[in-house]
Amino acid sequence: MTLKKRATLALGETHVSVANVMATPNANVRFWIITMLLVLIGLATLKLR
Amino acid sequence: MLLALAQWLALDVRTFSVFNYITLRAVMAAMTALLISFALGPWMIRKLTALKIGQSVRNDGPQTHLVKAGTPTMGGALILTSMAITTLLWADLSNAYVWVALLTTLGVGAIGWVDDYRKVVHRNPDGLSAKAKLFWQSLIALAVGAFLWSHATLPAHTEVIVPFFKHWVFPLGLVGFMVLVYLVIVGTSNAVNLTDGLDGLAIMPTVMVASALAVFAYVAGHAEFSKYLGEPAIPGAGELAIFCAAIAGSGLAFLWFNAYPAEVFMGDVGALALGAALGVVAVMVRQELVLFIMGGVFVVEAVSVMLQVSWFKYTKKRFGKGERILLMAPLHHHFEQKGWKETQVVVRFWIITMLLVLIGLATLKLR
Repeated sequence: MTLKKRATLALGETHVSVANVMATPNANVRFWIITMLLVLIGLATLKLR
Repeated sequence: MLLALAQWLALDVRTFSVFNYITLRAVMAAMTALLISFALGPWMIRKLTALKIGQSVRNDGPQTHLVKAGTPTMGGALILTSMAITTLLWADLSNAYVWVALLTTLGVGAIGWVDDYRKVVHRNPDGLSAKAKLFWQSLIALAVGAFLWSHATLPAHTEVIVPFFKHWVFPLGLVGFMVLVYLVIVGTSNAVNLTDGLDGLAIMPTVMVASALAVFAYVAGHAEFSKYLGEPAIPGAGELAIFCAAIAGSGLAFLWFNAYPAEVFMGDVGALALGAALGVVAVMVRQELVLFIMGGVFVVEAVSVMLQVSWFKYTKKRFGKGERILLMAPLHHHFEQKGWKETQVVVRFWIITMLLVLIGLATLKLR
């Protein structure tokens, strides 16, 4: 019998963070910050082309 | 520094001219500050923990906060370091406004640093006395006022502009201007400090207000936009957008470590400095009253403390027994006592700030 393995501890990525002993509010806020960074990069494309 | 380098390189490679644009440098500054804080953050937290620079928790505060005792504090040094490095990298260093903003922030940060250092390292619960703190804050605020008054080239540079009303502009004399600058810088500095009582509560509104002030600075520094929007034109103020973006970036990265449950607190070194930074930028771009709107959470927190203390003293003197208006001051503790969870208070205050910042930004067009 083949042993089935998981790529992440849980799905989606937020649950991985929580399963990695990151408190829920901590995971939430960090994902918001990553989104803000990505938005900034998106806005930079207005000028950088 | 990078602007000077880009301008030199642009003599041969025209592509580098793109760094002359304030908008691009502001975005780059926000990202640079964010990355510097991410890089330095874990190291600084380890260092603060190793040095046992831990927060002491008020005995008269909410009991749920006792578990926070020992969490490293003085994390504001991380914000100030990355903000200062970023500003020096991306801003035009020949611009006087940038230096005034930077030196004011670092100067007030130094006051907070001494206060924190005495509290957590020397184990002196009083830290720097309130009088000494106010004296140094006042000295810095008055120096800023004197500088701005002496460098004002247009009447608009020393007038009070009332938001939403196109023609409500009130000229101030030297005394009036100095009083206004003093109240805005010292008031905002202390108000942010009072707000800094829950994980992430002070930093996110600071990031939001700084981002909005970046827009105001950009408009004030842009001859066409300021004319179109009926804002005072302040040549050179656009560079403050980079300073504000650096605050926003370093503040966001700090939130990464300060989100509930916080790994680090900013301490007075961060809170006093960030408040002063918002105040000095608002004064320089002539948007003191808009700051009052956008920083409504800071204002209400400060007013809640003043009312609570005044009412308690008054009733104690009048009736022999002090009475309280709120269950606990500042206001965020009142809501905690009402049964709100810490994270609920924090996120709801953020939402209110977002709304207030939107109202503040609306004043650009609605007048």
